[in-house]
Amino acid sequence: MTREAEHAIEVEKLTKRYGDLLAVNDISFNVRKGEVFALLGPNGAGKTTTVEIIDTIRTPTSGKVTLLGMNVTKKKHDIVPRIGVLPQGFSSFDRLTVRETLQYYSRLFHSRNTDVDGLIELVNLQDKAKEQYMNLSGGLKQRLGIAITLVNEPEVVFLDEPTTGLDPRVRREVWEVLLGLKKKGRTVFLTTHYMEEAELLADTVAIISRGKIIAMGSPGKLIESNANYLILTLQAVDEKAFHIVRKLGFEPVHDDHKNIKIRVGHTDDVQKILSANKDAGASLLSLDVRKPNLEEVFLKLTGEALREGPSGVRRTE
Amino acid sequence: MNLRVVGANLVVSIKSFYRERTAMFFTLAFPIILILVFGSIFMDQDNVSFELCVQDLDRTDSSAHLVKTLRLNGKFKITGIDPAINATQYVKDNKVNLVLIIPKDYETSFNQHIDTDDFSTSVTLTYVYDPSSSSVSTKMQILNAVFAVINQEMSGKPPFIRTAETSILTKKYRFIEFFIPGIIAMAVMTASLFGTVNLNTELRQKGVIRKLSTTPITRTDWVLSNILYQFTLAIVSTIAMLLVGYAVYNVSLQINAWLPVFIVLDVFAFVGIGMILTRFVKEAQSAAAAANAIMFPMMFLSGSFFPIEMMPGFLQTLARILPLYYVNEGLRASMVFVDHMTALRYSVIIGVFAAVVFILGIIATQWEEGK
Repeated sequence: MTREAEHAIEVEKLTKRYGDLLAVNDISFNVRKGEVFALLGPNGAGKTTTVEIIDTIRTPTSGKVTLLGMNVTKKKHDIVPRIGVLPQGFSSFDRLTVRETLQYYSRLFHSRNTDVDGLIELVNLQDKAKEQYMNLSGGLKQRLGIAITLVNEPEVVFLDEPTTGLDPRVRREVWEVLLGLKKKGRTVFLTTHYMEEAELLADTVAIISRGKIIAMGSPGKLIESNANYLILTLQAVDEKAFHIVRKLGFEPVHDDHKNIKIRVGHTDDVQKILSANKDAGASLLSLDVRKPNLEEVFLKLTGEALREGPSGVRRTE
Repeated sequence: MNLRVVGANLVVSIKSFYRERTAMFFTLAFPIILILVFGSIFMDQDNVSFELCVQDLDRTDSSAHLVKTLRLNGKFKITGIDPAINATQYVKDNKVNLVLIIPKDYETSFNQHIDTDDFSTSVTLTYVYDPSSSSVSTKMQILNAVFAVINQEMSGKPPFIRTAETSILTKKYRFIEFFIPGIIAMAVMTASLFGTVNLNTELRQKGVIRKLSTTPITRTDWVLSNILYQFTLAIVSTIAMLLVGYAVYNVSLQINAWLPVFIVLDVFAFVGIGMILTRFVKEAQSAAAAANAIMFPMMFLSGSFFPIEMMPGFLQTLARILPLYYVNEGLRASMVFVDHMTALRYSVIIGVFAAVVFILGIIATQWEEGK
C-alpha cells in the first residue's frame, strides 16, 4: 500500500504563529485511514489550532499538511466536500428544527441522497426531530452537531472537543455515538482534554503540550512505555497506614478523597505494604490496584495534571 | 455561486424570520403603525379647527358681529366667557391657551371710525395667552390675518397686493401621499441595515459562521442570499404599507417600475453598510447600538418624516449627503410627481453609492476565520 493510500492525514513540520505567540511548534504526524486519532492536551496546548489548520479553517505559518492526498492550503474547495467538521463550541440556527437543520446542511453539500432519518437515528434524536435547535439541551445539540458532520458521508470527520462542557452522563451518550462511528470504520480526528475519552475511543493518541507533540502511540503502548508501574490506593481509618508506607521507602500521597495513593513497581510491593500494615495493626477499609492511565502518563511527561473542575471547567495544575 | 445553496439559505432566513414573531412584528407592523399614526394626525390638516375663548366686554351688535366673523372664518370653535370673569385667572384655571378680549368701548370706537372717517381712531383687542402652549402662536397668527383683512376692508380701498395660487402639481396631494414613500424608504433601510448587522454578528459570535466556513458555501453565496432575503422582506413590507395606504387613506400614489428599482438600491446600499459595520462590531449586544447610530440620524435628517426645508441650512446640506435622502426623493419623484427624469437622476446617485458600499461590504465580510 502506498503512503498516500495508507494515510488520510499527513502533517509535516507544521508551525503556526499568532504574532509573538507560537501556538503550534514544528509538529509532524500521520493519521491512518480508518483510525480514530485523538489529539490530547490542556487548553492552550495548540489542539484547536492544529485541527483547524488540517480541516482548512486556518492556514499554517509554515509546514505542510496533506489531507486525502491534497494540500490543505491549495485545495480547500476540493477537500471541504469530502470532510465533516464539528468545530469547538458548535452552534446552529436557533429556529430550525433538528430535521430542517440536517436538510439545510445536506443542501449546502449538494447531497441529494442524504439519509436524514438514518442520521437522526444514529445520534438517537428521533424524539426531537421536530424540536427547534434553541430548545435542545447541550448534549442534544452536540449530537445534532455530530449528525451534521456526517450529512455528506465524509471520508474524514473532525471533532474539536465534542464533549467539553457536558455533564458526565451526557458525555457518555456522545461517546456512544462516537463509538458507533468507530465501528463503521470512519477516519476520525478528535481533540480532547479528557483522558478517559481518548483511552476509550482512540486507536492512536498524540499528547500535545505548549504546541509540541511530546508522545504518540496507542493508549496501551503510551502507558506501557511511559508508566511501567502500578497504582495502589488504600482507604485507611487513620494516618497510621500513611506513615507505615513511607517507612517502607515508598512515596505515598493523598488524593482528593483523602485516600493514600502509592506508585509501586510490581505486585510484590503490594504484598509487602499490606503485610506491614497488618503487622502494625493498621486498619484498612479498602484497597485498589490498577495500571496507570493516560492521566499519569501526561503527568509524568509534562509535570502537569489534567482535571475537570466541579462546574465542568477544566483546569491545569 | 450556487443557486441551490443560495435558495437553501434564503429558506432558512425566511423560516427563522417567520418563527421569530417579535422581529416579524417590528419589521412589518412598525412602519404600518407609523403610517396610521402620522396619517391620522395630518389627514385633516386643511380642516383644523382651534378652540378659541372670547370675552366680549362690549356686548353690542358690533362686537357680536366681530365674533360672528371669526366663527364664519371656519378656523375656530368659539366659546364665550362671562365678562365678569378675570381672563388671566380663567386661562390658568381652565387650561386654555388663549382668550381674546373685546374691550368695552369697541362699538363706540368702531362707529367713530366709520362715521367720522377718523382714521386715527382705533380699538385694541387683547390676547391673554399661555406662551408655553405650542399651538397658541398659530392661533394668534390666524387671528392677526383675520383682523388684517377687516382693517383693509374698513379702509374702503381695494388691496394693492393680491395673491394667486398655482400648484406645480396637476392634482392636490395630501401629506400622507408624501409621507408613505418616505416611510417605505426608511423601513427598507431599517430592515436591511439592522437585519444584516444583527444577524451576521449573532451568527459569528455563536460560531455558526465558523461551522458554515467548513461547508462548500462561499462568501458570495452567503452575501447573495442575505440580499435576496432582505429584498423579500422589503417587498412584503412595501406591499403591506401600500395596502394600508390605499385602504385607510385612499392615497393616490403611482406604482411604476421605479418602485422596485429604488427598493433594490435601498437594500443594496444598506446591506452594504451593514456588512461594513459587521466587520467592526464584535458582539451581538453592540450590533444594535452600532446600527442605531447610523439609522437614527438618517431617519430624521433625510426627509423621511418631514421636508428637509424645515431644517436649518447646515442640516439641509448634511441631509443631501445622506443616501436615504436620495431614496426618499427618488420614490417621491416616481410615486407622487411621476417625474421620471428626477427619479432617474436620484437612482443613478443612490445606485453609485450602493455599488461602492456593497463592494466594500463584500471585501469587509470575514467569511473565514482570521488566518
